[in-house]
Amino acid sequence: MKKIFLFALCITSLWSCRKDNSGFDGPSIKEMFGPFKMEEDFKASRDSVDFGNGETVLFTARFNKAIAWRITVTGQTSHAKKIITGLSKTIDTPAGIWNGSTTIFPMFRIENCVAVLSLDGVADSFQVATKIKSIKVNTGLVIADFENGFDPAWTKFVQTGADMDFNIKNDGYAPQGVKYLNMAGTVNWDWLIGMIDYPASAYGGGKTLPLPSNPDQVYFNCLIYGVPNTNESLVLFQFKEDEHATGNIDPNTNDEYDLQIHVNWTGWKLISVRYSDLPYLNNGQPAVPKGNNQHNPDKIGKISMLELADPSNGFASCKIDYLIFTSSPLEP
Amino acid sequence: MDKLKLPVLLLFLTLQVNALHAQQRHTIEIVGGARSIISNNNIKVRDSVPDTTTIKRNTGGYALIDLGVDVRPNKYVEILGMFRIRNDYGGFWGSGVSFDVRQLWLKGIIGNVVRYQVGDLNLKQTPFTLYNHHADRIDSLPAIFNLQNEIISYEKFYMDNTWRQQGVNVDFGLNFSKILKEIDFTGYMTRLNGTNFVTIPDRLMSGASVNIIQSRHVNFGYNGFWVFDVKGTVPDSSLYNNSVNTINLGYVTDFRNNMRLDCKAEFGWSKSVWSKDVDASQLKDYFIHAYATLNLPKQNLDFTLGYLNVGPDFRSIGAQSKDINYAAAPNYYNYYTNKQIARPLSVFDVVRNENIYNTSVSSNLMPSNPVYNNVLPYGLATFNIQGGYAKINYTYPEGIAVNFEEYVLSEIRGQGTNSLKLFTQSKLLAQFEINKLAHFSKRLKVNLGANYQTTWRSSDAAIEDVALNSLQFHAGIEFEFIKKMDLLLGFVGLFNKGNDFIPVRNSYSKVEYFEKVNYDLSQNYSGAGIRFRFLSDRIYLCALYQFNTYTDKQNTNPSYNLDQFALIFNMTF
Repeated sequence: MKKIFLFALCITSLWSCRKDNSGFDGPSIKEMFGPFKMEEDFKASRDSVDFGNGETVLFTARFNKAIAWRITVTGQTSHAKKIITGLSKTIDTPAGIWNGSTTIFPMFRIENCVAVLSLDGVADSFQVATKIKSIKVNTGLVIADFENGFDPAWTKFVQTGADMDFNIKNDGYAPQGVKYLNMAGTVNWDWLIGMIDYPASAYGGGKTLPLPSNPDQVYFNCLIYGVPNTNESLVLFQFKEDEHATGNIDPNTNDEYDLQIHVNWTGWKLISVRYSDLPYLNNGQPAVPKGNNQHNPDKIGKISMLELADPSNGFASCKIDYLIFTSSPLEP
Repeated sequence: MDKLKLPVLLLFLTLQVNALHAQQRHTIEIVGGARSIISNNNIKVRDSVPDTTTIKRNTGGYALIDLGVDVRPNKYVEILGMFRIRNDYGGFWGSGVSFDVRQLWLKGIIGNVVRYQVGDLNLKQTPFTLYNHHADRIDSLPAIFNLQNEIISYEKFYMDNTWRQQGVNVDFGLNFSKILKEIDFTGYMTRLNGTNFVTIPDRLMSGASVNIIQSRHVNFGYNGFWVFDVKGTVPDSSLYNNSVNTINLGYVTDFRNNMRLDCKAEFGWSKSVWSKDVDASQLKDYFIHAYATLNLPKQNLDFTLGYLNVGPDFRSIGAQSKDINYAAAPNYYNYYTNKQIARPLSVFDVVRNENIYNTSVSSNLMPSNPVYNNVLPYGLATFNIQGGYAKINYTYPEGIAVNFEEYVLSEIRGQGTNSLKLFTQSKLLAQFEINKLAHFSKRLKVNLGANYQTTWRSSDAAIEDVALNSLQFHAGIEFEFIKKMDLLLGFVGLFNKGNDFIPVRNSYSKVEYFEKVNYDLSQNYSGAGIRFRFLSDRIYLCALYQFNTYTDKQNTNPSYNLDQFALIFNMTF
């Protein structure tokens, strides 16, 4: 009996060690499911913002409870939209910071903007105005934004099909700047509609692109527009490495990595992919590269961009803009 | 490549059979199992708008064979390699055929002292360190449902309360003539996940136990469990570390008339740390679990009284991983209604759908589902709970087993309020082997069970009040009407009514939000079938029909019926 008593004493003495558990976990239920009250008005930290010089806008607000919120900033001229969402009791840094980036294209321009705060389950919305003095600058190597037309160093090939339109356009569709490349046509004997080669020599005169050597820190980005009610396009990028910097890329002794995009959406979409994630594709299937089998972005000698479509389908069309290498996924 | 697999497999089998003949019978054995399931399924959606989108019927199935070669080249080493060939019905040569390695392990003994095993391991420590609680499973399930439940256990390598891991395990024991009787050591190290060299580090899991048997009356021990990321396997990342250390004590004493009192306790503490991550503070807490069982052999009775106190910040991923992943797609009528919304899981899925079951422990705290367990969703390792329980167990040698348990628990720290939730669970399980009681040879088993759970919170602010009641009950009959041929009947009912607030946690398991839920849910799951047992219970052919209704009176999700006819052949050898 004495032993049992000692056993029980040992356990109960441990029980008394419980730390203080006053307070509770998580947000207050009374607040969460009680009536909503705006405790601090929705504000923007600046009336006007110079994104090009690294300035940002901080949106702030405070509520009496944690609530799902959504800020939609709309460019009054471009109709670009930036959407920021969260679930919290306050909107503050870092969640409330806008650096000039875009969620729904086109990208913002120098223009007036209106930011609207809407809250889950609350009928009222709140708004503030701000003005963009200069747009956000994306750091990276721009391969093509088509603002200055075709670079004479590029090589273009377009099939002689029907309704061919492989031209740079300025018709208000551009997601970045004012121009983009339209790629459309009917080629009923071949998958290829048209292509452009971007040689490394067009970007600083060297035999390879001036990119970092670490493939994990190189991202290729582009904006592609899927045309509604049109046959699916296939955009293929071939990144051809010139491993020995000869200026003459032998496909049998050099690596090639590929990015194949099925344009099966409508509207503009950002494509962003890390160079080290790219496979080599042989007839659309992953295969072993023919060079050193290492991703070497600093050895890319040429990029080929091909617009493809199933020849039995007929007319295919898509638009493309803003081909850029960055060190992290592009935040346009 | 796939076309080469079968010839290679046949060649391998031929070699194995030759080896079997060539060597002593005890040195090479073929082990494994075979199964074939074909089923016809039907869903009926009871939505306000007729569902014309969901494909209502589907027929499918598979045949598989697990072939393992258990080799004992000498008395110190045993090796098992098992592969699986599976063919989905309708597949043929490369389409629907898969070929996998299912098990691979090697075990042996070093110097007649240290036992070791490498490769696949089935690991278990204590309920607070590494333990698969199967917290949401229905105990003593009728045989008509248990057949498919046992297939899940086989598929996921659930052996009692073990978790399947890959790594190395060693154990050895020392015997003493004075002061101590015996000391047993066990240690293991396994790899939870491999690195992707960028963001996910190598994560290892290890554990050690030392159990000291001082005498027939006294034993005690230490258990350690650690999960940690290996530094340097990814560049500059936050590293996770979860450690649990526990002490267990045991004391047994005998009284007159062979009565025995068995006292056991385990207490310990845990720590979870995310290095470098400013959003996560470390979580530290402790637990105590103690119980005493009075065994009255003359009366065939056991009485148990226990106390449980598990801190709100106690985290042990080895003991708090759930076997059911409620976030997993069932891969069986995933979507329904014209809007093709996700179909809520039903008892039908919990009992028979292996796709929602986990094989390994999860590093993140897995969500619980109050419909299936609102009191102890992580078994005894459920955190933020304290209280007591009592159990009575009656076992009559001639075919009666009755078990009743009652838990009365409360939270330690409030969730979204200072008011605490109170929980009760009353569970009754009974099994009657009527053939033994009435002394006839053909099998006639009846099993009954019920589990009633309540969750209740009363607060000054009515909006914080919680009242949720759940009743699960089941009944089953297994009747051998012709030699080796059984009629199987069974029913499971599950009813949930009331409201609760479900915490929504971030990746550090901290509560960020509460989801308010209201239930008025009833589920009925019934089944009938005929089973023919061949040489033993391990080989059977069963034709069964099961019918499930899921009725949501709140219409949070539209109600539906599911029914299935299945033909199952299963054997293990």
